[in-house]
Amino acid sequence: MSTRRTFLKLAAAASLAPSVASAQGAGAGKVVVIGGGFAGATAARTLKALEPRLTVTLVEPSPVYTACPFSNSVLANLREISQQEFRYDGVKRAGVIVAETSATAVDADARTVTLADGNKLAYDRLVMSPGIDFNWAALPGYDEAAAQKMPHAWKAGAQTTLLRNQLQAMDDGGLVVMSVPPNPYRCPPGPYERASLIAYWLAIWKPKSKLLLLDAKDAFSKQRLFQNGWAELYPGRIEWVPLSKGGKVTSVDPATLTFTTEFGSHKAAVGNVIPPQRAGAIAGQAGVADRTGWCPVEPVAFESTLRPGIHVLGDAAIMGGMPKSAFAANAQAKVCAAAIVALLAGAKPQDPILINTCYSLLAADYGISVAGVYRPDKGQLTDVPGAGGVSALDSVGGLRGQEALYAASWFRTITAETFG
Amino acid sequence: MGRVLLPVLASALLLAGPTQAADAPPGASSCTGCHATTRIADSVIPRIAGRKAADIVTFMREYKSGAWPSSVMGRIAKGFDDQQTDAIAAWFAAQPE
Ligand SMILES: Cc1cc2nc3c(=O)[nH]c(=O)nc-3n(C[C@H](O)[C@H](O)[C@H](O)COP(=O)(O)OP(=O)(O)OC[C@H]3O[C@@H](n4cnc5c(N)ncnc54)[C@H](O)[C@@H]3O)c2cc1C
Repeated sequence: MSTRRTFLKLAAAASLAPSVASAQGAGAGKVVVIGGGFAGATAARTLKALEPRLTVTLVEPSPVYTACPFSNSVLANLREISQQEFRYDGVKRAGVIVAETSATAVDADARTVTLADGNKLAYDRLVMSPGIDFNWAALPGYDEAAAQKMPHAWKAGAQTTLLRNQLQAMDDGGLVVMSVPPNPYRCPPGPYERASLIAYWLAIWKPKSKLLLLDAKDAFSKQRLFQNGWAELYPGRIEWVPLSKGGKVTSVDPATLTFTTEFGSHKAAVGNVIPPQRAGAIAGQAGVADRTGWCPVEPVAFESTLRPGIHVLGDAAIMGGMPKSAFAANAQAKVCAAAIVALLAGAKPQDPILINTCYSLLAADYGISVAGVYRPDKGQLTDVPGAGGVSALDSVGGLRGQEALYAASWFRTITAETFG
Repeated sequence: MGRVLLPVLASALLLAGPTQAADAPPGASSCTGCHATTRIADSVIPRIAGRKAADIVTFMREYKSGAWPSSVMGRIAKGFDDQQTDAIAAWFAAQPE
């Protein structure tokens, strides 16, 4: 009965009137969640569904969340940016208090969060899911002003639209240059999906144009699948330059759209810089980020190993073998919410198992995937041996078309589960 | 018991009831990233809530062995042993369809 009840509560949370939820009152504790992305919005909604007596406050400055998954399809004109936008009404309907402001300081000893609007929130448990920020200092020449000339489009929204407009305004025959940072960064296969979908669009609208992919690595996620697909779909259009062949970009010049590498320089007609990254700035302020710029956590409840009482989820955290993906962020948030409810009740959270599945599109009807199953092992989330891996190399039975459909279905399901 | 009550009243009672947190077995909460808990109008991925446990177990076993072709499920099923799969299947079977 209890399993049935929890599930019903999860399902009911979306349709419940807020008055009913707040009438439960406090009593079970206070949880503050910083950041309303795939991790934070899922955590907030799941916490309320599992324990309605909790007071859950989600701190998020933007009234509209613009999702990154499928934003590469916006670049290729396969979707509108409005299809990427989600509001927090479903989160509020679940009984979560949404504070539309940013967190400016965390005091881990006093257990308080200071907000930009001047308010201060006390917590019993804090969830931090601020996503990424760019490590501007790591790439000479690149800063916020430069991103107006050479967009990153690695936080979806105005940057995505800017890059799409630049591609559309480009002369046929113009060279598109992309730069990819070293690991770790948000969405390991994302740059290669982007290169694929830009090539897809170029082949139709700018057939004389090519794409140069400058990479700070010698290997990448789903590499053979991508390279086989490029040879099949876009022969000669994408040139990938790995680290060992001089792919690492050491500086950029936004005035001339020039990428300088260890081996030379490349002038772009359209330049897309995916900059080096770190956890969202508030993580550094709170003391949960280490010298790498990311946040170490234990693998059961994802509690910071640096500051007790603070759980870090999603892209900001070091999650062992799990990649920085929306699927992973959502999966971690559900595990963490159950663990927090257990901890607040004085119980021990159970050892979790988590799944990740990331789809990438090489064309509108051509999808590939990578999957993994993870569990705690020696203090880390670790791949379960023998599980996971990438799509079959030989596409039999329309597999690529099938995976493109699964990708689109996944996006609708995960955004519904995250935002209600 | 909820069935005889009005839906709104039923949810209020459920919310007020004692919490059995973390009662989903390990792994189950990840499944709903793709297998929706609510009716998603436009998804080709089947919902598994309320399906017979034995059927879910059969699918997982055949995907795992490769006897039945799959795109991603074979790779995922290999991450779970029989006991873990049984627990997840039983949990989903107990959820409302
Ligand atoms: C081009 C691209 C394609 C991608 N494709 C996929 C895909 O196909 N599948 C997949 O699974 N993943 C994909 N991803 C990765 C995915 O977008 C991220 O992994 C995911 O967004 C991480 O979720 P998060 O909640 O950790 O962070 P975010 O989604 O970035 O959310 C963080 C939130 O925190 C807020 N915030 C930050 N600082 C503060 C503060 N101080 N106070 C309050 N709020 C704050 C931000 O406003 C933001 O809303 C892609 C990413 C990119 C860039």
